[in-house]
Amino acid sequence: MKRIGLFLGCNIPFNRPDVEYSLRFLLNALDVEIVEMEGAACCPAYGTMPSLGIFEWAVASAWNLSIAEEKGVDMITGCGSCYGVQNEANYYMKKHPDIKKKVDEVLAKVGRKYNGNVKVWNVTNFLYEQIGLDTLKQKAKYSLNGLKCGIQTGCHNLWPSRAFPANEDNVFAPKRMREICEALGGVAPHYSTITDCCGMGALRSNAPEKSLALFKKKLDTIKAELDPDVNVIGCSSCLMQFDAGQSLLIEQKKINYKIPALHIAQLVAIALGAEVEKATALATIPLNGVITKIKGGN
Amino acid sequence: MEEGGVNVIDLTQSDENFIKELMELGADELKECIQCGKCGATCPMALAGLEFFIKRIVHAATLGLRDILLEDSSVWGCQSCNRCVEVCPMDIKPYEVIQAVRRAAVRVESCPANTYEGLRNLYRFGHAVFPKGFEERRKKAGLPEKPPTALSFEEMRKKYQEILRNTILEEIAPFPLT
Ligand code: SF4
Ligand code: SF4
Repeated sequence: MKRIGLFLGCNIPFNRPDVEYSLRFLLNALDVEIVEMEGAACCPAYGTMPSLGIFEWAVASAWNLSIAEEKGVDMITGCGSCYGVQNEANYYMKKHPDIKKKVDEVLAKVGRKYNGNVKVWNVTNFLYEQIGLDTLKQKAKYSLNGLKCGIQTGCHNLWPSRAFPANEDNVFAPKRMREICEALGGVAPHYSTITDCCGMGALRSNAPEKSLALFKKKLDTIKAELDPDVNVIGCSSCLMQFDAGQSLLIEQKKINYKIPALHIAQLVAIALGAEVEKATALATIPLNGVITKIKGGN
Repeated sequence: MEEGGVNVIDLTQSDENFIKELMELGADELKECIQCGKCGATCPMALAGLEFFIKRIVHAATLGLRDILLEDSSVWGCQSCNRCVEVCPMDIKPYEVIQAVRRAAVRVESCPANTYEGLRNLYRFGHAVFPKGFEERRKKAGLPEKPPTALSFEEMRKKYQEILRNTILEEIAPFPLT
């Protein structure tokens, strides 16, 4: 049986625990044993330790990686930042032995060590490479029944590609999430701004109006080019922008349409038979139409 | 930064030591920049309308314009998306230039207040993002009140804090590390 460390991070367990429920459900349904990352901390977010120094970044990530290594597992995360930050830390430690040496010394002070053997997976690459589209299709209880999906991969899932253990063939034209949706019976066309940033993150914290204007530009393009039933998102921060951020734009009367949003883990969990109330518990844009389409297609 | 402040560059402000500092803080390839502008063409900060975006930040860094870089808050709006790293033909790692400027800024307390909030949460709870009301949200998703992270394991959290005390955080944190 496959085993994987479930790396939760911050936004998923505290802001969107419905994504945590979905991750747990889909791993169980796919016969992957979940290993709890007891004592794991923040990845650490780009604006924290990484903004203090490379060693600061590496040692804080190495704490998490050492927990996975001790348990003999790789990690999976639904958050783009957790994916990017920890993979980049791994990359730096391999590239800078002097930094790794310092990391080892500090970890040793609290009785821990990290040998550099842990891979960090995102949901898309894990499903694509470790499970496979055929198995996913076989295990699905519901077909997406033609559901039209607008894909948002999320920046940190794509770049810097050299730091990632798995990736798209072309990181400026991502296809894996589209293929997953299509394997489950949906349609997921390409659109012109598919790799554009949603504006969540440091920009949202430090220049909120510019962040939401950037997001609106992307949303308007999706609406005009695809008019999807749902946006399917590869990163929990993007999900918060596409759901709660979109609700803000509606409240501010900046847009006059609504496109529901699901994390790829939520969509896959629902197709595998998860309890919809739990899998979508924190969504602010109603998902009734999406669920009816999926469940109606059984 | 004043309107148009980066458009007129006063080269007498150039500080070689600051260039060195940035290179030591991670911008090690800084001097190789050819100002081709590819990083700026792909940068969401530029697309969002921040005037002092990555190409200009790298330019100012290569010139050692310390005051402009430390006084302007644009570097804190960077999305860490690494598009610039992916496309840079000279392998400057422009994002690392942003991080180097941030690293120089925190050493002289020249960063936005919310930077400290994230660091304080990280130190206290093991989570930089630690929003109120999460117990209720977790209940709605059918999950236990607390996740099985550093938040739930005090001994582990203490060890994590000891690790953080062995970094520069110990020197720059404007809050007690106890
Ligand atoms: S940092 Fe790289 S991409 Fe940006 S201007 Fe310099 S050489 Fe060009
Ligand atoms: S990492 Fe920062 S500077 Fe580089 S492209 Fe992204 S937002 Fe711009």
